[in-house]
Amino acid sequence: MELMKKFIIFKQGVLEELPLQLGVFPFGIIYGIMAIESGLTPIQAFLMSSIIFGGASQIAFVQLISSATPLGVVVTTVSAINSRHFLYSISMMEYLKNLSLKWRIVLSYLLTDEAYAVSIRRFINEPSTSFLHFHLLGTGITLFLSWQISTLIGVLVGGDLPQFLDLQFIIPLTFIAIIVPMIKSISTFFVVIASAFSGLILKSLDINFWIVISGMIGVVIGLISSKLDKKR
Amino acid sequence: MIWYGIIICGVITFLIRFIPMSGIISRELSPSTKNSFKYIPLAVLTPIIVNDLSIVENNSLFLIENHKLYAGLISIIVALTTNNILATISVGMASYLFMSNFMNV
Repeated sequence: MELMKKFIIFKQGVLEELPLQLGVFPFGIIYGIMAIESGLTPIQAFLMSSIIFGGASQIAFVQLISSATPLGVVVTTVSAINSRHFLYSISMMEYLKNLSLKWRIVLSYLLTDEAYAVSIRRFINEPSTSFLHFHLLGTGITLFLSWQISTLIGVLVGGDLPQFLDLQFIIPLTFIAIIVPMIKSISTFFVVIASAFSGLILKSLDINFWIVISGMIGVVIGLISSKLDKKR
Repeated sequence: MIWYGIIICGVITFLIRFIPMSGIISRELSPSTKNSFKYIPLAVLTPIIVNDLSIVENNSLFLIENHKLYAGLISIIVALTTNNILATISVGMASYLFMSNFMNV
């Protein structure tokens, strides 16, 4: 009976996560193609999807590696992009704090944007349901499998595409598709403007860590201008 | 070097997801700290986009006949109107290939 209930909640997680794969799957293929185009070996490109397991940060990684960026900048940039998962983990903590360490390790690894978005809604709406963690396991595993399979497809077709397609250009387009929907307030708009201009200036001055510094400037401007959001 | 990068990034990414859930942090984060986490992805990805659109080439502004910039602007409009990742990438890429192969803008 108990096993059946766990399976039902797990299955609900899987089914609720499936529609999001319409967006995730092409993104995984694009990552796989980009990784090969950027000079990573197929093994590196494929295993990165299970070692890092973070879409936008993986694309940033291959973009920076292909432009011979120092490793410190690559690591800082990837960490900064994934830092939002820290907040996801904080909000999940309330529901998962009684689980064993083994469970919390597995669920932390699976805690990505799309799995969090689907599961947190269930957690908030039905906090007293038992075995809720099986829901996050369902959403997380679905996303994990989808990401690995789509990466593999991208890696397999990556080397065979004609050069004139200039596929590197997919990277900024992907990032545009990710960040534009995130601009929902005055402060987020100012973050984009500030980090764009500081990026332009710092890059033209050949300053190391220009991405990180312009990112910090963007965050500071965002925090200052967040007062404007509240006044609206 | 690439392997080191992948493994270090993997460990850090896992720790970012695991540390709050591990229970090490017991104190509630301040609103400004939470806000700054919200801004970080925008603040880090924007300079990468600007760089990839080749707006600055050889330390000077490159705005005229910059096909990447025009295609980027088109994809921003598509992202704003459709909110669809695949449509944004497809239209942006198609306009870039069209301009760079058939037009002397």
